Parts: sequence; structure tokens; C-alpha cells
Amino acid sequence: MIELNTVTKRYDSLAAVDNVSFSVKTGEYFALLGPNGAGKTTIVKMLLDFTRPTSGSLSLNGLPSTHAACRTSVGYLAENLHIPPYLSGWQYLERCAELLDIIRSDAVDQCKRIVELIGMQGREYSKVNTYSKGMIQRFGLGAALMGNPKLLILDEPTAGLDPIGIREIRQLLELLKHQGMTIFLNSHLLSEVEKICDTAAIINRGKLLVKDAISTLVKDGDALEDVFVRFVKG
Amino acid sequence: MPKALPPIIRIAKYTLADEVRQKSFIVMFVICALFIFLIRGCFQGNVTVNGQALDTGTVIRSVSKLTFHVIAAGVMFVAALLSMRVFKRDRDDGMQSCILSKPIARWQYVAGKMLGLWVLSIASMFILHSIVFLITSVNLKVVMPEYLIASLLCSFNLLFVAIAVLLLSLLMPDIVAFLCVMGIGIVSFVADGISAISHSQMVPAMMQQPGSPSGLTGWKVVYYLWPKLSGTQQLASSFIGSEEFHGFGSIYPLINVLIYCLILGSLLLRRFRNEDIT
Repeated sequence: MIELNTVTKRYDSLAAVDNVSFSVKTGEYFALLGPNGAGKTTIVKMLLDFTRPTSGSLSLNGLPSTHAACRTSVGYLAENLHIPPYLSGWQYLERCAELLDIIRSDAVDQCKRIVELIGMQGREYSKVNTYSKGMIQRFGLGAALMGNPKLLILDEPTAGLDPIGIREIRQLLELLKHQGMTIFLNSHLLSEVEKICDTAAIINRGKLLVKDAISTLVKDGDALEDVFVRFVKG
Repeated sequence: MPKALPPIIRIAKYTLADEVRQKSFIVMFVICALFIFLIRGCFQGNVTVNGQALDTGTVIRSVSKLTFHVIAAGVMFVAALLSMRVFKRDRDDGMQSCILSKPIARWQYVAGKMLGLWVLSIASMFILHSIVFLITSVNLKVVMPEYLIASLLCSFNLLFVAIAVLLLSLLMPDIVAFLCVMGIGIVSFVADGISAISHSQMVPAMMQQPGSPSGLTGWKVVYYLWPKLSGTQQLASSFIGSEEFHGFGSIYPLINVLIYCLILGSLLLRRFRNEDIT
């Protein structure tokens, strides 16, 4: 479903991503881990064609990432999500539905379902400038779920959420996993990743250090955090 | 069930809705409309030229033409102001990444933005020109349907301004992009003014000295290749009062602006294709 083939992204002399190759299969729950500035967000941006690789190729749903059609059935939640402050959460979801070519009646049904799913009933018609960061994040996740995508790309989905919010998002992601959705997760919350992901890749300074099943990476008595520190610190 | 609108139309619709919501747009539009209402008395003034009083029809047509030019130039200014922050606002509000993370190509996004800005500018100019049309038709009983046709013809200037500002806003700070395009417009108006003076019968006779160069000079080439915003406006206003048509020479400014729109439009699409989305 996702394929990176010797991808390099340079900003002048700095290699943000350096010769990275890996793939994510359909139905896989994948986490991309790394310290700040490791190149995780750059990889996500290249997958969505927000920025072009200096060399190498990426593909989504079997199509090169430069084709708009490859983003069909892909939901995306940005790291520092912004929503136009003059819209309400409902209007934002409606716009997303319209952009996905969902007909009006279906769009209303989906918006209702998503508002319930993200636990924002009663606040959906308030303007976004009255929302907390966590509430904006929830609507962002809701927008990513619009159109029942087969692949979900989430860049720090729990950023700005309180512990209860983090737990609710995790439960929601577990539910989506059981529905067979492929999830590509960028996260710093290793404990959450350990609980829900099947596979993980660790990158540091643009280089891929390891990609394997969580069960293989984390040995008895260890935690994913220990594995992460071991790899990053070399 | 009606299928949702194609992406370009949808993006144009959001652009329109988001711009109309801006307080600055509403304020500028209301000021323009107030200006037209305030000058409505000028249509009925008694004007005397060389001791001879002009008839009401001539006064109405002259004042209407003057108002036409003021509105067209004013809306060009407003269109440039609206265009200069479109990409930045979309980036800051997260709409750019929201739209482009969907199966929508970059060219569709840019085309939608251009279309939205153009439609909004045309609508603003048409409404303002329609107010003048209504004042002359209802109050003064002088019906000038050509006034509205001229308004639509002038809309190509607005397309040029929107595309030029959008393109330059990707290459330089927004305000500099705005000032550059305004500069292009001002040079076009000034150059046409100087050209009109130099082509009058009296000035060449006064200025001409023996042995002065004639024919195609470098300045003339620049003059003819420069975006003919003023020329297009003149061409449009020539419909009001049915001025004489001068063949290709008359429509050259319109062709010039259309060619510029095509060139700048393709440059904008090409530039945005390599733009990093944040």
C-alpha cells in the first residue's frame, strides 16, 4: 500500500531523509518513530506530494505519489493542524466531504457519524476559534476519516490532547484497526505505539535504523522506549 | 442525486466565500458603492465648454465614462489586494494541506483559486457598474446597455491582476507582489497618457525638431509589449457612446492582456507545482 524506494530529500547540504526504503502492507498498523528532526514529517509530506524527493520514488495505492489519484481513499491528519477559525467544526467536515465528491445526503450522514465518533456532539456548530487544541485535533481526525479511507496517515495524532483524550484516540484507532484500515502513524508516544501498532520503523538523522514487527523489536522485559533509545543512541 | 461539483468549481466557491467573509473586502466594497451614490448629482450638472452649454445626454455619457474608469481601476486595486494573501491565508488556515491531501491535483487547486478571485472581482465590478447603469436609466432616463458590456470586457484586466499577484506572491513578500502589479498598472496608464498626448496634433508640431529619430524605437517596443491594462479599459469604455472602431489597433490591448494571462497562468501553474506545502 505504501512503498518508499531509496528516497532522499536534501535541503541544500542537509539530508532530511537519506536513502530510505521500506513498505507498509495493506491492513498493517505501522508506526514511524524517531527523535525531533529525524525526518518523519518529511517522509509523510513526500508521501502526500507536499514536497518532492531529491531522488528515489514513493508510491501510494500502487501509484506514484505525484499522481493525485493515489490519494483516493487516503485520510490525513497534519501535525500542527489548523482549521479556518471562521468555520464551525461541522462546516469543516462538510467541506472535506465535498472535496471528496461525497453527495450531500451521504455527507450529512457521515458528518453526524464522525461527530459522534470523535465525541464532539453539542460543539459541532461552534466556531473553530472557540475550540481547544485537543478539540481541533479531534475534528482533524474526523476529517481524515471522512469518506471511509482505506489508509490513514496520522502525524502526531495525540499532540495537544490530555490523557483522557489520548486514551479515547487510541481506542478509536484500535477500532479502526479491527475494521481493516491501514494506518501509518508518526508518533512520539512510544507507550501508545507499543499498545496498538503491529510494526515500527525507527529513523534518526534521516537514516532508517530498523523496521520490524513490534513483537520482534521488543524482547521480554524491555519496553519500546528502551529499544528506541538503544537504536537512536547507537 | 446531484453529483458534487468538480474540484475547481468547489475550490472557487470556497475562495469566494472566504474572501467575501473578510471585513476589509466588505468595507472597500461599501466605500466604492457610497462613492457612486455620492457622485450621482454630477450626472445632472450644467456643464459649459467654451461658452456653450453641453446637452444633458453628453454630460451623462461623459460622467458615466469617467465613473466607469474610476470603478474599473478601483476594482483592479481591490482584486490585487484580495489576491495577494490568498495562498498565505490558505496555508495558515490549513486549507491548502487539507485540499491537497485529497485526490485533487495542484493545477486544479490553483485554477480554482484563480477562478474564485476572478469571479468575485467581476461580480464586484459588475455590481458597481450596474449601480451607475441604474442611476442613469431610472433617474435620468438614459439607458446604456453597452455600459454593462463594457464592464464585462474590462474583466480581463481583473484576471491579469489576479494571476500576476498570485504568481508574484509565490516569489516575493505579498505586499511587494501587490505593489509590483500596481506599478505595472500605473506605468500602463501613464504610458498610454503620454502616448495620447504625443499623438495629438499640437504636441508633435511643438516638439518636433529637425533630424529627430522616427520609426520603431526601443521605447516604442516596450510600450507595445507592456501589459495594456489602460488600453483594454479604453477599448471597453469606447463601447459607451459608440466611438469609432479602429480595426486591429483597437483590439490589440485586449489580445495583449489575454496573452499575458495565458503566459502568467502557465508560469503560476508551473511555479506552484514545485511549491512545498506546509
